[in-house]
Amino acid sequence: MDSKNSACGNPNPNPTLGPSKLMLAFRFLRALSLVHRTTPASSRTCRGRRIERAAYASMAYSAGTGRGWSRAVLRRLHHRARRRAVAPRRLSTTAGNRAEALRQLVPGGAGMDYCTLLEETADYIKCLTMQVELMQGIVDSSSSYGP
Amino acid sequence: MSFSARLYHPEMEKEAFWGLNWQSTDAKVPPELNSGTAAAALLPQRLLNLNWNQPMSCDAGFESALSSAVVGQTGSICNSGEISPSSRRRGASNSCYSSPLNSPPKLNGRGALPMPINPMPGAHSVPFAAEPWFADGAAMLSNYGGGSSAGFPGQFGLPVIPANLSRVSSSKSLKTGTGSGMGAPEKGSDAGMLGPARMEMEMMSKLGGSSTPADSEPGNGQEESSVSSLRGVTDSNARKRKAAAKGKGKEASLSYAATDPFTMTEEENSDAKRSKPAEANGKMKTEQNGDPGRKQPPEPPKDYIHVRARRGQATDAHSLAERVRREKISKRMKFLQDLVPGCNKVTGKAVMLDEIINYVQSLQRQVEFLSMKLATLNPQLDDMESILSKDMFQARGLMPQPVYPAEMTSAAVSNVHQPQATPGQSIVTSLLEAQFSLNPLESSLHQSQSLQLVPLDGFTVASSQLGEFWEDDLQSVAQVGYGRDQKPAFSSQSYPGHMKIEL
Repeated sequence: MDSKNSACGNPNPNPTLGPSKLMLAFRFLRALSLVHRTTPASSRTCRGRRIERAAYASMAYSAGTGRGWSRAVLRRLHHRARRRAVAPRRLSTTAGNRAEALRQLVPGGAGMDYCTLLEETADYIKCLTMQVELMQGIVDSSSSYGP
Repeated sequence: MSFSARLYHPEMEKEAFWGLNWQSTDAKVPPELNSGTAAAALLPQRLLNLNWNQPMSCDAGFESALSSAVVGQTGSICNSGEISPSSRRRGASNSCYSSPLNSPPKLNGRGALPMPINPMPGAHSVPFAAEPWFADGAAMLSNYGGGSSAGFPGQFGLPVIPANLSRVSSSKSLKTGTGSGMGAPEKGSDAGMLGPARMEMEMMSKLGGSSTPADSEPGNGQEESSVSSLRGVTDSNARKRKAAAKGKGKEASLSYAATDPFTMTEEENSDAKRSKPAEANGKMKTEQNGDPGRKQPPEPPKDYIHVRARRGQATDAHSLAERVRREKISKRMKFLQDLVPGCNKVTGKAVMLDEIINYVQSLQRQVEFLSMKLATLNPQLDDMESILSKDMFQARGLMPQPVYPAEMTSAAVSNVHQPQATPGQSIVTSLLEAQFSLNPLESSLHQSQSLQLVPLDGFTVASSQLGEFWEDDLQSVAQVGYGRDQKPAFSSQSYPGHMKIEL
């Protein structure tokens, strides 16, 4: 515990880092356990999609509402809770303009000017990487522990 | 055309404003020039190709409006005048465009490229191509026509050019007199061939260099040239132009020459103009350069805007704002470069953007893949504790919420006792307990306050049901959002929605 405390004793070195890994892990694990509990094991794809949605939701919640992309993600989640809406559209640069492609990738990017879009993209990438690391860690740990 | 005049008038201010403020922001420009941007891009190379603004002639009122709007600024006049008619033309005066079609053939003969006449670059390109004189001009025109989605974009470019040309020629004529100018046209088609090309180049340079092409000219000259050019544009009727040219004298003839290929008198004038603009351009350029600080009114082509900024009109508020914006963008691009691995060697915004897009796509794909994997994996949540501990502490990303752990302590304890504490929750709570540290609490309190609220609320609620957890979480988020976000509604919605999602 001491090591843990000391490990987390430093204040956030990067104040600009919106979401915290701890919060992200907390939320995501919570959601993950919930999904596992509530969805039947047979519907793997359904559960997978729910987990993905939970991942984005926890990401957005961790980022807070100060970010345009997190607001857009939550908006999308809540408005289309029944549909698989969290999965971002995979649009390549074939969208002609690269800025347009980026807008389609980053949630809520359509209504932003270029400057804000870049900023939101940076934050979004940060959160995405955190989420991916978290999920990867969970997968690794689970696989290492179980069959 | 009275109707066109009506159209112009209400928009004149807008157009003029647009022209004047084109530099303010990119956002401002595109909406106005969305159709013209394509043409604008072509402008520098195809200034001459720019429309022979015959449609302009359709709008009698436009000319007056333009002249009034562009006081002392032929460049701006040309821009606003040209732009507005082009934009308006889209809706209203297609007939005007048809007339210009006839002019190109004649125009070709004269080589009066500089004149802004053709609202339909595409249409013109065809007739132009037929003309031998347009050997070089036709290429430009065709390019221009192809580049512009509508006839209007071309007009944008032309207005600028013709404005400059007309201005130049007018000034030239004023100085040298039409007599000498007339002599130049005698060269005939050759002169015509060279003229436009030369003029185009000069126009381009002028455009690039001079934010205030019109400014260089004396105010009167500019106005005259602009007015004359406007008149030429607005006068779809060749005869009208002729009369106007005669009536106005040099300025009118100059502008008309560019715009009206039909009349022989115009031709002479245009020829004279051709030779004059070539020389005048050089002069204008110097004049323009000498007037760098001049606040450039609406630059006709989009490139004007860029050029102007490049010219470094530091005193111009518009260029300053644009420079600031560009700096912001470059700053953010650098930040992104640090975030995206492997982007350090990449140079150039386009490639960087591509890399960023690929990275975001790969991350999203990874999330999807991992979520599918987690779905099948069904991790043993009992082990989550160790997982979290290992992961979180190793990742060193847990610091940010010092307050959170402290708050979680009591909450976690209470939570643990809840009958429905899930394995995940227990893991998390245990993890949180391990994280307790009061020191960072105060320091990060201010920044992580919002986040702290969430877990605190979730835990202190001590709801045995996970749903309540989410609710509190959402409420906390809503509270957080209130501080910074104007969408509190979403949080209220989030609760039910969130529940749905999870379940």
